[in-house]
Amino acid sequence: MSLNAHPELPEFDYIRPASLMDASRFLAQHAGEARPMLGGTDIFVRMRDGMWHDQYLVDVKNLDGTDKLHFDPQAGLILGAGVNMNRVMVSPEVQTRYPLLADACRSVASYQLRTRATIVGNICNASPAGDTIGACLVLGGVLDVHGVNGYREIPLAGFFLGPGKTILQPGDIVTAIRFPLPPQGNTGVYLKLGRNTWSDLSIVGVTVYGYPDASAASGYRFRIALASVAPVPLIPRDAEAYLSQNPIGRETIRAAANLAAESCSPIDDVRGSAKYRKAMVKNLTRKGLEKVWESVNRKA
Amino acid sequence: MNIIGQSTPRLDAISKVTGEAKFPGDLNLPNQAYMKILFAARPHAIVRRIDTSKAEALPGVIAVFTAKDVPVNEYGLIMPDQPVLCGPGSSKPYTDHVRWVGDQVALVVAETEEIAAKGRNLIEVDYEGLPLVTDPQNAMQADAPVLHPDRGSNIFCHYRIRKGDVDAAFADSDVIVEGEYRTPAQEHAYLQPEAGLGYIDEQGRVAVQVAGQWTHEDQEQIAHALGLPLEQVRVIYPAIGGAFGGREDMSVQIVLALAVWRLNQRGINRPVKIIWSREESIVGHHKRHPYILKAKWGAKKDGKLVAAQVEVIADGGGYAYTSTKVLGNATLMCTGPYEIPNVKVDSYAVYTNNAVTGAFRGFGGPQGAFEAETQMNRLAEILEIDPIEIRRRNLLTEGSLLSVGTPLPKGVSLPQVVDRLKVESSRLKDNLRSFARLKAGSSTANPSASSVQALQPHIKRGIGYGAAYKNVGFSFGAPEQSTAIVELFGAAEIERAIVHHAGADVGQGTHTIMAQIAAETLGIPLARVQMIVSDTAVTGNSGSASASRLTFMAGNSIKGACEQALEKWRSEERPVSVTFQYRPPRTTPLDPQTGKSEPNFAYGYVAQAVTVEVDTETGHVRILDVISVDDVGKAINPQQVQGQIEGAVVQAAGYAVLENFVQKDGRVLTDKFSNYLIPTVLDVPERVQSVILEYPDPIGPYGARGMAEMPYLPFAPAVIAAVHDAIGVWFHEFPLTPERVLRGLGKL
Repeated sequence: MSLNAHPELPEFDYIRPASLMDASRFLAQHAGEARPMLGGTDIFVRMRDGMWHDQYLVDVKNLDGTDKLHFDPQAGLILGAGVNMNRVMVSPEVQTRYPLLADACRSVASYQLRTRATIVGNICNASPAGDTIGACLVLGGVLDVHGVNGYREIPLAGFFLGPGKTILQPGDIVTAIRFPLPPQGNTGVYLKLGRNTWSDLSIVGVTVYGYPDASAASGYRFRIALASVAPVPLIPRDAEAYLSQNPIGRETIRAAANLAAESCSPIDDVRGSAKYRKAMVKNLTRKGLEKVWESVNRKA
Repeated sequence: MNIIGQSTPRLDAISKVTGEAKFPGDLNLPNQAYMKILFAARPHAIVRRIDTSKAEALPGVIAVFTAKDVPVNEYGLIMPDQPVLCGPGSSKPYTDHVRWVGDQVALVVAETEEIAAKGRNLIEVDYEGLPLVTDPQNAMQADAPVLHPDRGSNIFCHYRIRKGDVDAAFADSDVIVEGEYRTPAQEHAYLQPEAGLGYIDEQGRVAVQVAGQWTHEDQEQIAHALGLPLEQVRVIYPAIGGAFGGREDMSVQIVLALAVWRLNQRGINRPVKIIWSREESIVGHHKRHPYILKAKWGAKKDGKLVAAQVEVIADGGGYAYTSTKVLGNATLMCTGPYEIPNVKVDSYAVYTNNAVTGAFRGFGGPQGAFEAETQMNRLAEILEIDPIEIRRRNLLTEGSLLSVGTPLPKGVSLPQVVDRLKVESSRLKDNLRSFARLKAGSSTANPSASSVQALQPHIKRGIGYGAAYKNVGFSFGAPEQSTAIVELFGAAEIERAIVHHAGADVGQGTHTIMAQIAAETLGIPLARVQMIVSDTAVTGNSGSASASRLTFMAGNSIKGACEQALEKWRSEERPVSVTFQYRPPRTTPLDPQTGKSEPNFAYGYVAQAVTVEVDTETGHVRILDVISVDDVGKAINPQQVQGQIEGAVVQAAGYAVLENFVQKDGRVLTDKFSNYLIPTVLDVPERVQSVILEYPDPIGPYGARGMAEMPYLPFAPAVIAAVHDAIGVWFHEFPLTPERVLRGLGKL
């Protein structure tokens, strides 16, 4: 414990570049002492607590269209990096076609925080507890990344390396996350377990998504993402595969939930023990799968 | 009566709502400097060397103070066992020892807060680590490292009660219930972190404006440490953002005074301001004591208690604070509000390197009540007697002898309180029955939307009960008084009354209550009463805002002053000025061998029923209904009384299920509100019914008893009993975190 008595924001320079290229170049030139900033809801806490000491915060909101939310009936959804969570929640396209995203946003902190917080920021912060990351993973999110050499795409699934660590390089700025059109008959749920009723960081978060898929032996495809149970947001591949290969029913769901619990490697902290987290992954994955399965059936 | 019994608006309501009210952190004076404190941030060490030269050389740093600058380097509400600043250079031995992470080592005064923080970070301190003592039971062992070497033992308080013959009574019991109980630390979590402004006032006094609970005690503590006569020190309380016992001991009071006084000696006459961060507040002030209580109770088949034996161990942390008084309360209350013919209690307060512990709403009562009420609820289960009925057969009544061998003061209303709870809580039992029928499918009623979720098989509901009594005012022979000054102005009629009192309005509304008592007694409208409050320069000593005592004690002093003033007014004296000191009936300390004593001069009584819902898949406990029946004697302001009941219930609900203060190796792991959670509006009980009874206290002002702590006491054990009713598991430890509940269910 440092007991940094009265932690306060250290001095830093606020940089407002004119273009994404300016921003990327500045960030690359000041690698290790500059950081791209969106809503700042994680950055300011870390700087205040003395965990981060960046000299420059580079505001990348509103640059070259990073503030747009756009749905295209052919291409799917684009969420610009600067779109705050409350905007995501009230978007009619999100509500009708990607309601899971809205649910995930709704579980984050409070209304006030969500007017600043962004989904892309949640992703780049790379906390295993990030509440919106699971939805982005199961919906097949792809990141648009602008670096010193221009744009490239990074599928979200391979993005995370560890707590707070991603494959981004100095100069990289995530400008948007894109989602393909959702498959017919899909349903998703996000089950978040906190210590209190609302606003706590998740002890465990379980995202479950499912839809009919003729290419799967079971006739269905389920996607699962787990928060706060591994160094990175976790996709329990064994559980997903099991559900695609075995006829869906109570027993299969139970077995898949067990596989999900086995795949995680949580830690003990003040919010909960590893043992409790594992048990909750099992219970919540089962519950999530049952809910999704029931709803997918109803739609079919 | 036309003012007492009315829910008149709070005197400070508008200023609090508009933001006009000034809290300590809002106060500023021209040319003020800013202070930062260097905390030890380690739980047990000797300060070998402090080098402040780099900090002093930093441009903008005005001064750095360490132990050598403190004339009398000690303080403490009950015993002066704590250094003001830890380090070498004091005349008193062992003041260079650090005994908890929140010990203060140095003060930096600078032109700005930022420079003060930088200066603080430049101070070099060499520590020699000492072995840690974090388990209170280990701390009691003869070979344990001793925190205060001049004392020879970590046990700094031991009380005994010996009434009758417990061994014979156990042999004669039909049933014996035993249990070892543990209660957690709790953070006060008041809205306003510690802050203050110190300066030399116009009469040359060292003045501090801070949030505290007892102006005159703060004044004494400051004067003692600075070696100044009392009248050279002035303490003023502006608006206070909550206290709950957490401001009874010193935080920034002495060090602020020290800084302005030492600066003044150097020819620098500048005010000094400090504001603690939330982290500093959580680490820097005391917590509710964690207790270990080992109980063995015996009863006859009909539920009549015959014997109780309890061992009580309080983790006192590094310094005594108010531990000895808190322990006294627990010693009395660990046998519950019951008449038990044979009692043996041994209680201990023990030094450890954990967070210091002291006053917190209930003051040892909640810890004692948790063990006593859980013992009682378990006894009811074993004997298959209704939990309210078994209490009814054992309650203290008028003339009953306490465990300490003396009767309670007159006006004991426990039977009425418990009987009323029985009536009021019957609907909760009915609700549970119809819920059970619905769940079993034997009812055709349509479930309400809210209960559909609850009909799932893993959701269980239950009900639990608790009862308690709690003293009003200082106990066990502690000097107790309250002084008020009343002035009357006018000609034919009283046009203006000025009431001076020092009782701290910590947010509970005391100034309003005092104004109501004055207006009622003088027979004038409330608008003609002017309050001059909480300033040692112009008010008498009212005693502390603690022990549910201000309405009773300060109220009696103001009532007495007003009555005398009125007499003088009637004999044509103009203007009138009266100083009146109220002294309650005296109390006596526990006899060292038998505990025999007259512990208190007044009590308040309470009983509660609580229903809960338990999710057996996640372990979450949700509190549904609370019925709190409180005998308050007389509700001077019923709305404020209801506010106190609801506030106590919410705070106790946090204590029972949510608030988890985690320490490891003497370090606080939950030093923020993001990891130490208190109930939000969504976590509080769904419904709280406050049933206010008014059986007058024979000596309370207008019959009023104290009431602010009482509803806190039975709550946690009532929740524990409700959870047991829901899932069949007794918990001997709380908070009932989801994880603890699942473990109790054998699912982890």
